[in-house]
Amino acid sequence: MAKHADQERLELLQGTLDMLILRTLLWGPQHGHGIGQAIRVQSDDLLKVETGSLYPALHRLVKRGWLKWEWDLSEANQRAKYYRLTPAGKVQLLREQDRWSQLVDAIGRVMNPAPANKE
Amino acid sequence: MRPHDEELDEEIRGHLAISIKERIERGEDPASARLAALKEFGNVTLTRDSIRRVWRHRWFDAAEALGRDLRFALRSLLRAKGLAATVVVTLALGIGANAAIFSVVRGVLLRPLVNRDEDRLVYIRQSQRGTAADNMTFSVPEVNDIRSRVTAISALGEFSTVDFNLVGLLDEPRIVKAGVVNGSFFDVMGLRPVLGRLLNAHDDGPKAAPALVLTYRFWAESLKGDPQVIGKIVRLGPTTATLVGVLEPSVPYPTDTEIIANVVSSPHHLGATMVTNRTHRMTELFGRLAPNASIDEARAELTAVEAGLVRQHPEAFSKRATTQVTVTRLRDQIASPARTILWVLLAAAGVIFIIACSNVANLILARSVRREGELAVRAALGAGHGALRRTLLAESIVLCGAGALLGVVLARPLVGAVARYAARYSIRALDVTVDSTVLWVGAGLAIAAAVLLAYVPRLPSQQASSSATSWLRWTRRRLGAGGPAGFGLASGIRITPGTNRRLRIFATTQIAFSFVLLAGASMLVATLVRLQTANTGLNMRQVRVFDVPPTATGVFGPKVAEFYSEASRRLATLPGVEAVAVGSTVPWRDAGTMPRAQVAVEGYTPANGEENPYAAMRIVGPRFFAVLGVPLLQGRDFTDDDGVGEAVVIVNQSFAQRVFPNGDAINRKLWWTGSLAKLFGLDKPHRIVGVVADMDDEHFVRTPAPMVYQTVRRMGFAGRLFVRTAGDPYALVPVVTRVIREIAPDQPVERAATLEDVRMQVLSPERLNAFVFSTFAGIALLIAVVGVAGVLAFSVSARTREFGVRLAVGSAPRHLLARVLSEGVVIAAIGIAAGAAGGFALARIAARFIENIQLPGALPVMGAAAVLFGAAAVASLMPAARASRVDVLQALRSE
Repeated sequence: MAKHADQERLELLQGTLDMLILRTLLWGPQHGHGIGQAIRVQSDDLLKVETGSLYPALHRLVKRGWLKWEWDLSEANQRAKYYRLTPAGKVQLLREQDRWSQLVDAIGRVMNPAPANKE
Repeated sequence: MRPHDEELDEEIRGHLAISIKERIERGEDPASARLAALKEFGNVTLTRDSIRRVWRHRWFDAAEALGRDLRFALRSLLRAKGLAATVVVTLALGIGANAAIFSVVRGVLLRPLVNRDEDRLVYIRQSQRGTAADNMTFSVPEVNDIRSRVTAISALGEFSTVDFNLVGLLDEPRIVKAGVVNGSFFDVMGLRPVLGRLLNAHDDGPKAAPALVLTYRFWAESLKGDPQVIGKIVRLGPTTATLVGVLEPSVPYPTDTEIIANVVSSPHHLGATMVTNRTHRMTELFGRLAPNASIDEARAELTAVEAGLVRQHPEAFSKRATTQVTVTRLRDQIASPARTILWVLLAAAGVIFIIACSNVANLILARSVRREGELAVRAALGAGHGALRRTLLAESIVLCGAGALLGVVLARPLVGAVARYAARYSIRALDVTVDSTVLWVGAGLAIAAAVLLAYVPRLPSQQASSSATSWLRWTRRRLGAGGPAGFGLASGIRITPGTNRRLRIFATTQIAFSFVLLAGASMLVATLVRLQTANTGLNMRQVRVFDVPPTATGVFGPKVAEFYSEASRRLATLPGVEAVAVGSTVPWRDAGTMPRAQVAVEGYTPANGEENPYAAMRIVGPRFFAVLGVPLLQGRDFTDDDGVGEAVVIVNQSFAQRVFPNGDAINRKLWWTGSLAKLFGLDKPHRIVGVVADMDDEHFVRTPAPMVYQTVRRMGFAGRLFVRTAGDPYALVPVVTRVIREIAPDQPVERAATLEDVRMQVLSPERLNAFVFSTFAGIALLIAVVGVAGVLAFSVSARTREFGVRLAVGSAPRHLLARVLSEGVVIAAIGIAAGAAGGFALARIAARFIENIQLPGALPVMGAAAVLFGAAAVASLMPAARASRVDVLQALRSE
């Protein structure tokens, strides 16, 4: 299953989708479509999340206990499943955010080495 | 938390609805909005599947992969039907034999008895080391002494066996085997009735009313389970007794009796001999351990009590041997005769399993070498070691599963056969039924075989070994595959030396184990043939023997003697009858039923350090020796008048030579010593009137032993009838029965047979042993022959090119033939040598745990070796012939 999913997620850096979902839900409960839209809008249309990756990721996060879901009526008056961060999810978000900034920092140093003579 | 399928569908529908609505709000027309939303969403089914997979357990994926592998294995095996069938049948034989025998082992040796608290139930035996008396049993005074002196055993059950003429229950009068028990017997044994009641304390002693219970088997088989039998009044010989109950099914020990009666039912048990004589031993003793007492405490206490008995009554024990008492759990005691034979059988079955596995390993190995190309392609396409191993494992699971299935099916009838066979050694085997044990053993063996077989073939080594985990590398090292193997994708097969060596090792293993089985089986067959063809010196075909037992145990006297001589007289006048005699003992069939005792001879003093000779006693009437064909060497036969007045005896040659080396036995006097002799008046001098040639009525291969013959007339006892006929001895049976019933209407006449028939009957356990082990050895031989032939055929087909080159440079075809043939013979030779060494070592180890291990003599071993060599040569012949017929041009072109 992993192999198949890997290829679909090529647009996104591996492992970052979970973090983006958790971050998006920090604003409050949202349904699947809304999460996808929010990521797109927030990234100025640079990141586009495939539903084929989004929904398995959501369910995986629920299974791990970082999200919970509840049924509610959407603004379109349509019954939809709303995902909500759990306290464990919030802790996880902090952890991932931390790792992410370390990673960006490290990659940045490799890609743009600081000139040796810089004071 | 796990969502239902409808829930998933609803979530996806919701997503689409929101998406469409948003697009419409942005101004798209509904139709195109719907299309765009669907397009954006992508493959709905795929998404739903990947969501569902998130919630699945990881075992589910593994199972799915295994299922795929199994289907693949099934397909690829269907393309190799011959191999698959050979493997499945071979495994089925191995697994079936093991499952069947293990079921019986479990049923006989390991299963608890039905008796209440059976682990507190012990069997007590008195024996003398150094004499033949390994079971002396007890006399009533001894039992009473023991009862009053032990505390570790709370109650004692007494059991002795007598024969009764049972009248009034079955259609005909019949001699039944009966147990006579004391009042506490059933309580000690912890048994319950299925009908009526059992015997209890009120039935004990000489004042009680005679009562009997039926054993379950007798009630169910002879009386068809008739519930109306309770309360019936029947005759047991001279006594009238009431039938009070039916015993539950239980293991009869020490003898399988048909009825069990109280003491008062048997006149013999009330007699002074039984009650007061310390050496009149016929009682078996069972005990129930007292609460908190261990079996070791009981053992220690009884040993002390026994020592006291020997001290107080030295005259009741032989001075030549030490008397000892053993206390064993009843369950172990019952199992003990069968233990050796069952363990040996289990070992034989285990050997068959090993042979089967090595053979199957060989076939699989050969197949995997042919498949190396395929495996290499799969490895090149990215299949990891794990995946390849899983493919092989799936294949061997399919093979072993099928083998186990067939094996379990095979085991069902086998359990019955093995149980009937084992029943000769332990009565418990009769209750063995096919149960889940067979399944478990079959499944266990199949799994063991499957895992073993999956690791036999070598995998193509991968250049990128990074994915190989360390244990796989270890396995590869274990399998002896070093470095990148020289497999190619070309059609030709190349065998690495490692593969070839492994093939040969497996073939040698098979030969070695087959040799062990063959040697064992040929030993049994040799023994059987020796016994069956031994010259007994008796008239084996023309003498018909009958059991015409006295109508109750312990009845002796002139009237009995008169009945037998009257019967002899009348039968002798029948047409076709040459001579008639009566006696106490049918050769071999009645072995061990007559006593041995010491004999003193007038004017004879034993040499220094020796005792008076022991002699076996037989009771015979006039003409006995003439009827059986035993030559009279000196003096005369008994006459009809012997037995009244002067006491006379006839001795055999062994006795005469031992005591009268000068040949002056006639007219000398001898008498029996010991308390039993006194009881029967045998301690008076008897004049020797004749000397007869030795006949051995206990062994088929004659081993002369001193014997003294008493007259029927004086002893008032016979029980066996011997009729020599001129014509067909079988035609006589109804006539004899009729004539005897004319004299005594209630008289049973049973077990008519010629002496040759008796020999066949007595030898039937030996015959069965030989048959069972020969079957095992035959199976092993068959598998081993297939194995050797397979290895050589494979080796030849892989070396076609080599043979082509050899032929091309001038080798004669017969040289190639001899070469391949010698390879087969070398495998056989190494196997036989290994088998002989291993078998010898095994026997040495087994001898530590099992008594009476016999090593086969030289002849059976040579025979087994010859058979194996012959088989190996025949097995090599076909591949060898193929090697010598290789077409040179084709062989050279083939690669």
